[in-house]
Amino acid sequence: MGVVQSKRQKYLFLAFCLLPTFIVFCLFTVYPMVGGVYYSFFDWSGTSSVMKFIGLDNYKRIFSDSVIPKAIFNDYFFVFVKVIGIMVLSLFFAVALTQLRIKEAPFYRIVFFFPNIMSVVVIGILWQFIYDPNIGLLNGLFRAIGLEAWARPWLGDMTWALPSIAIPAIWAGIGLFMLLLMGGISNIPKSLYEAADIDGASEWQQFWKITVPLIWPQIKTSILYIIITSLNGSFVLVQVMTAGGPGIATEVLGSYLYQRAFEDFKFGYGAAIGVVILVLSLATVLIFQFLLKKEKVEY
Amino acid sequence: MGLLRTFSAIAVRIPLLLWSVIVIFPLIWMFLGAFKTNAEIFVSPWSWPQNFNFNNFIEAWTEYNIGSSFLNTLFVTALGTLLCLVFSIPTAYALERLRFKGSDILLNIYLASMMLPSVLGWIPLFFLLLKMHMLDNLWALSLVYAVSHIPFTIFILVSFMGNVPRELEEAAAIDGMSPYGILLKIVTPLVKSGIITASILNAISFWNEYFMALILLQTDSKNTLGVAMDLLKISARYESAWGVLFAGLCISVIPVIIFYSIFQRHIVKGMTEGAIK
Repeated sequence: MGVVQSKRQKYLFLAFCLLPTFIVFCLFTVYPMVGGVYYSFFDWSGTSSVMKFIGLDNYKRIFSDSVIPKAIFNDYFFVFVKVIGIMVLSLFFAVALTQLRIKEAPFYRIVFFFPNIMSVVVIGILWQFIYDPNIGLLNGLFRAIGLEAWARPWLGDMTWALPSIAIPAIWAGIGLFMLLLMGGISNIPKSLYEAADIDGASEWQQFWKITVPLIWPQIKTSILYIIITSLNGSFVLVQVMTAGGPGIATEVLGSYLYQRAFEDFKFGYGAAIGVVILVLSLATVLIFQFLLKKEKVEY
Repeated sequence: MGLLRTFSAIAVRIPLLLWSVIVIFPLIWMFLGAFKTNAEIFVSPWSWPQNFNFNNFIEAWTEYNIGSSFLNTLFVTALGTLLCLVFSIPTAYALERLRFKGSDILLNIYLASMMLPSVLGWIPLFFLLLKMHMLDNLWALSLVYAVSHIPFTIFILVSFMGNVPRELEEAAAIDGMSPYGILLKIVTPLVKSGIITASILNAISFWNEYFMALILLQTDSKNTLGVAMDLLKISARYESAWGVLFAGLCISVIPVIIFYSIFQRHIVKGMTEGAIK
């Protein structure tokens, strides 16, 4: 009797711990995801009660929509530029701050991390100012050093708008990945470098033969993390800074989804774009996980 | 050799100093801009403000809804962070300590959901809240924020709970304490540092959140800082109220700066651990 009672109490306690959380999780996370896929098969303006099932028509429209290829290109442009920019800079800073005996290293660590805690809206508005044609810092700098010709309306320029958004994205991302890599480097036994010194290996060789292989797990994690967050989230900065403009020069899938769904009230079409984002980000992660599969090095 | 060493010490510092300037200078420029008049801002982006008065701050706070948005953001941040803990602590405990059939699967479901693009779910979420009459409601927004960070919080707490010695729970159970009591009075205090780490990061994300608030809130008086700043940016463009905009940016950032300087270590630890997954 006692056992039965305690077993029942155990299940009650389990249910108390798990059920409320799981219910709200299903309601506000799982249901919306599944619902997004479901809505993508409908033609729906949101306001009317009429939801017309149209099968794969939204997807057919996506294939013939000329904005979509540009948006996908831009999404991957951000992924590419962010992975290269963030990894090169944060790896350099991480090595410099851990291995080159710099006294004021904590200062750099604190400063470089700072943009990571700022909101995308603040970062976006701040950088809009930096790029402002009239009162901006960048054009002001060029004029001050006599490079008047380089001054331009950065975010209004068809070719320069996209890279101009990538720069604050890198600016805001360095600190986190630098710290991640610093954590990895500080776990490398000092004796390895001492042995390499005795063998006469240059610092450059030590970097490629010791540091990089031993922090490969952290490098891989960082790259995957940048890919996921970029494909799923870079549209916020785009929407704040240019809303996809000029024209469609900086449009990415996420901003296009927002504009179609919440500005043009084409919710079915927006949901289909969301499914494309889901498929692309999962596929990209899988491909990169396959490409970066390199055995962990043990010394 | 000595000369070479000095040279390389300087050479390494050049990129470090350059990047420090690139990070710090825009922020200093923003703070100074908040004290300038529009005329001063237009004359030169490099000038020092003539005198330090707080007119821009007062105008942003009272006439551009930054004051009410500040309070709304504070409310949503506090309630969201609290709710997230209420939902996450029991589940993290059950997943880490009360092994049951499917506990690994459930943990993996939570963790995998962090990889999905939340933008896909925003359309159904909008209509769900519409049907429940919960649009334009700061309580509902707090709940949505809390739920969106349940997986991350569980992830952090599970790793902290793994370090709590089982003997303490067993001793309390022998003394006749109920499992509810053990969870609340024994385990929760012991994972305090995990709770603090997760909560600080949650609070910063909620404070900074913009897009869900943009979609789920509708009236100006309900807006949070992200949305209000975006609106202020648009009206600043028409009215050339740049100083006010700078002041608004400062008001949005200063609480996070204070938070960061107090909890620097927790933030760094939690963020790097969170990214490792």
